[in-house]
Amino acid sequence: MSEITPDELAHRLNALAPRLSALVAEAEATWIARHEGGVGDGRPGWRPFEDAFPTFYQFTNRPPR
Amino acid sequence: MSARLRSFTGMRGIATVPSYLIMQPTTLCNLDCAYCYLPHRGLDRRMSIAVAEATAATANQWAAEAQRFSIVWHGGEPLAAGRDHLAALMAPFVGVEHHVQTNATLVDDAWCEFFLAHGVRVGISVDGPALRTAQRVDRGGRPAYDRIHRGIEALRRHDIPFAALCVVSQPEPGLAGELYDYFCALGCYALGINVEEQEGVNKRSNAHATDSVRQFWAELTQAWRADPRIEVREVEWAVRYAGAWLADGADDLLPRYIDPIPSIGCDGRVVLLSPELAGFADERYGDFASGSVLDTPLSDIVSAAADSPAGWIAEYLVGVEACRSSCPYFGFCGGGHAANRFFEHGRFDGTQTNHCRNSKIGLLEGVLDHVRDHA
Repeated sequence: MSEITPDELAHRLNALAPRLSALVAEAEATWIARHEGGVGDGRPGWRPFEDAFPTFYQFTNRPPR
Repeated sequence: MSARLRSFTGMRGIATVPSYLIMQPTTLCNLDCAYCYLPHRGLDRRMSIAVAEATAATANQWAAEAQRFSIVWHGGEPLAAGRDHLAALMAPFVGVEHHVQTNATLVDDAWCEFFLAHGVRVGISVDGPALRTAQRVDRGGRPAYDRIHRGIEALRRHDIPFAALCVVSQPEPGLAGELYDYFCALGCYALGINVEEQEGVNKRSNAHATDSVRQFWAELTQAWRADPRIEVREVEWAVRYAGAWLADGADDLLPRYIDPIPSIGCDGRVVLLSPELAGFADERYGDFASGSVLDTPLSDIVSAAADSPAGWIAEYLVGVEACRSSCPYFGFCGGGHAANRFFEHGRFDGTQTNHCRNSKIGLLEGVLDHVRDHA
């Protein structure tokens, strides 16, 4: 895989920002709908991922707001 | 702007309290998957009750002070320990969540009743439709797929929710959609994709063509976006990172400290940070164990590693800092995992691994490729 610099990655993220925003908005709508549907065992939700996959780092899909 | 990709502050040093423990009730696995990393999976070395009690002495304190604390029964195949023994091992723990990661082949009605009675959260391992799962075989080389599905059917009969882990040996175009459809139909509520890793006794190369890896993740993103009915760990993690980037909050996403992830072997020896190192030894680093719960409280073992890291752990922390200073993906990744560094590089202070390329860099780039190509 080719090496990429911070500048190049930042440029790519910024160049894609409008489309990326649309994907993020859709994802957040999904996460919120899951949450409103009731968060619990055995249902998709926002959570630290070790909820479903305990052998994983502590990342979350909880929306920032 | 690129300063935002150079100034991540999380994952600096090791936390003194983990969020979960991994317990090995037995080394034995009833399967012999082609890509398995475990060195002693043909031997039935069982954890003693004394090891569970010694572990629980610390874990119960941690659990009492945390909102949630998990005990993950991992293997070998944890169900190969048997219900009575697993129940006896679980008995000393109080106030914790129990999880099991199983190949599902031994799951039947009796095991389902056990899961319900003990509040065990279930993760199963299957790699997709029968042909995609063909590397999961027993010691006679017979495919395990039908037995896996009988186990899954038992879980469904008992309305036991389950997450699924899928090993992908060859991430390539055309695969992701097939897998996503399969797992949606399977009935799992969450899916995690583990691109096969070169670690432990698995010496197979995990070097893949960049474009294939990125296309795999792009297609998985597309499939999830079109019908996000299940959680997809990697895609949602990447989208969450992208959202944080857009909100200028990406530095808030990584945990402040590295979770020590203590793995308690069947003999009580504790390996931190990467469960995959358990059972291995190296001339330079020894056996990677930080102590044994049979002679030292687990809290002391973890605190010692966090407060005064030494040996391979100190070298690993040097490696994490090298990742932080050199890799623009650090804020998304948090640094290469210890086992991947060791098994790919032979040491812990290197940086980018094939695992990074396949499962972190290729993932984020694949999500961005999807975004580039889809309005």
